[in-house]
Amino acid sequence: MKQTESIHPTGGGRFAVMLLSMLILLVFGLADVARAGTGMDSAQERIAPIGEVRLQGQPPVEVHVETAAIQEQEAEPRAAPRLSSADYPNIGVSSRAVVWVLAQMHLFFGALVLAVPLFVLLIELVGVYTRDDRYDDMAHEFMKISLTGFSITAIFGGSLALALFLLYPDLMAYLMHVFGSQWLVYAGLFFFESFFLYVYYYGWNALRYGNLKWVHLTLGLLLNASGLTIMVMANSWATFMMAPSGVDEAGVVVGNIWEVMKGPLWNPINLHRFIANIAFGGAVVGAYAAFKFLSAKDPVKRAHYDWMGYTSNFIAILSFLPLPFAGYWLMAEIYAYSQQMGITAMGGILAWLFIVQAVLIGTILLAGNFYLWSGMSRTDGSERYKGLIKIIAFVLVVCFLIWVTPHTLILSASEISLLGGSHHHILGPLGIMPAKNIAVNLMLIATFLSFQIYRRSDKVATVSWAPMGNALMIAVYLGAVVNIIFLGVYYGYFTNTVYKVGSSVAQVMTTLVVIVFGLVIDSLMFKKAKVLPSHWGRIPDRAQYALFALPIAFTWLMALMGYVRSSVKTHWHVYTVMKDNSPDNFIPAIGYAGNMITLVTVLFLLCVLFMFWVASLSGSKQPKPVVAAAGGEA
Amino acid sequence: MEQNNLGIAGRLAALIVAIIIMLAFYYGLDHLVMGMQGLPLNLDLTPAG
Repeated sequence: MKQTESIHPTGGGRFAVMLLSMLILLVFGLADVARAGTGMDSAQERIAPIGEVRLQGQPPVEVHVETAAIQEQEAEPRAAPRLSSADYPNIGVSSRAVVWVLAQMHLFFGALVLAVPLFVLLIELVGVYTRDDRYDDMAHEFMKISLTGFSITAIFGGSLALALFLLYPDLMAYLMHVFGSQWLVYAGLFFFESFFLYVYYYGWNALRYGNLKWVHLTLGLLLNASGLTIMVMANSWATFMMAPSGVDEAGVVVGNIWEVMKGPLWNPINLHRFIANIAFGGAVVGAYAAFKFLSAKDPVKRAHYDWMGYTSNFIAILSFLPLPFAGYWLMAEIYAYSQQMGITAMGGILAWLFIVQAVLIGTILLAGNFYLWSGMSRTDGSERYKGLIKIIAFVLVVCFLIWVTPHTLILSASEISLLGGSHHHILGPLGIMPAKNIAVNLMLIATFLSFQIYRRSDKVATVSWAPMGNALMIAVYLGAVVNIIFLGVYYGYFTNTVYKVGSSVAQVMTTLVVIVFGLVIDSLMFKKAKVLPSHWGRIPDRAQYALFALPIAFTWLMALMGYVRSSVKTHWHVYTVMKDNSPDNFIPAIGYAGNMITLVTVLFLLCVLFMFWVASLSGSKQPKPVVAAAGGEA
Repeated sequence: MEQNNLGIAGRLAALIVAIIIMLAFYYGLDHLVMGMQGLPLNLDLTPAG
């Protein structure tokens, strides 16, 4: 069976390597074409001989090289090109739409294949320390699911590079000029990543025990190091376009590559994408586990996939908890870099999308919590905590409703007169950030409480100070709720803006205190706890649909926020440096963007279904046909 | 179930003490975090300066 499993991905692997090689050749070949296209004036100049060429029987060609002029041209700094609409090739459909779909698909799969090896490595490490082979098997299976994803990522990456060079040649030529040899390093890292990926995956059973296991773990570490470096390098292109650094006002490069890369938004995006990728990866493999759980009849397999689904949900939701804080940091840096850009994102046309974002995040938290509550039926000890579920559900729903309350409504004149103003006198205060900050932090605390009671449900503390520990834990929660509400209400509504913004940091710290205290107290209190039996597989089928809801909401959310992130540049390719004069140099309307976002989400989910199918296919084996006996029946 | 060395009164007292300790902790945290951002607070938590 193991051999059968390993047969399929070989083809995909070869294909991916071949495709990557083609991609790199194409990227650099096209870059040269783009450079030649912008640097020469006529075809005659392009084919003019360089140096002395003497044909047989002909006098020597006189070549007048104006050395001084060339040197002057070389010394002249290269500014960002100023383009007209004629500089953009017209292929009959919106160039932006083509690039949008390809870039988003590449980003989805890139996020997935960067994230899965990260938590696979951690699960493998847990397996080594606990000496439990189940962890090792699960980590291997996670890798199997994502392996097809690497090929799909390369396909969309290659298509995206082609589309960009064909549809935005001058922009790409400028970016190639700015980032220079960084592109070569980027391409080189793909070779490293592919090498480590295939040795890591195919060497899993060959390097399974003893010292060889540490070799395998090191390979996993190197795989993740290459993947993360690829991610942060690609992030630097996006952040350079949003907040350029290392160039002057005209776009002339004045710094080295490091100064170009480390723009003000680089690290906030790095952190945000790093965390979000893990949450996204966990959600996608969770859907695979749910699919396998629902289709399995064998109780052993159902138990295995139940455990796999629980682990995936654990990864997705736990890494999701700090994500709003990383997003908050990113937005704060955007405001610090350009207040206008920040207001475009959160106060202008895009502001309503943050309400949609709230709906999606609320969906994710409700689905994640519902799965945990359903999963508590695996242990009999969970009865002790079931009363808390109603309180958590109440907090989640109320906070969700506050979060989705809009500040400004699109109203007709008669509706405004009926309302008594453009802001509802009760709902208006709930539409601004202080109320939403309270809601978000309370939802995160409530979700952590769900985790905590889930993890406690199969244990009974045996330490003598357990009642004191419980009292302290209750006090941590109650104090945090009081502090978060006080900070939001007092500084948010009764002091100036500076204190309003500053108090949100204190709210975040309060939430983190709850998480840290919860983890520390529980790890000490349940160290030698009596463990009650867990019945893996004993979970209602409906809980699996929560695992399907997670990747759908995550995918839609990523596409939505990608649209916001890209749109804040408004009519600039590179903000304030290189203007976008293409026919698409405007922020697309929300309805149109909604259709595009839905399209890429559906496309991604179809590709994910294909990935699951391929992963399942490798585990099935066609029985050998029985050869019919001579003159008899088969 | 957890060991129950304390009676109801003892558990209630422990809870009240724990709540007081944690409220004091969060009070200190607010001062610390706001102060680190250059936003000092008075003892009654109103903005200072």
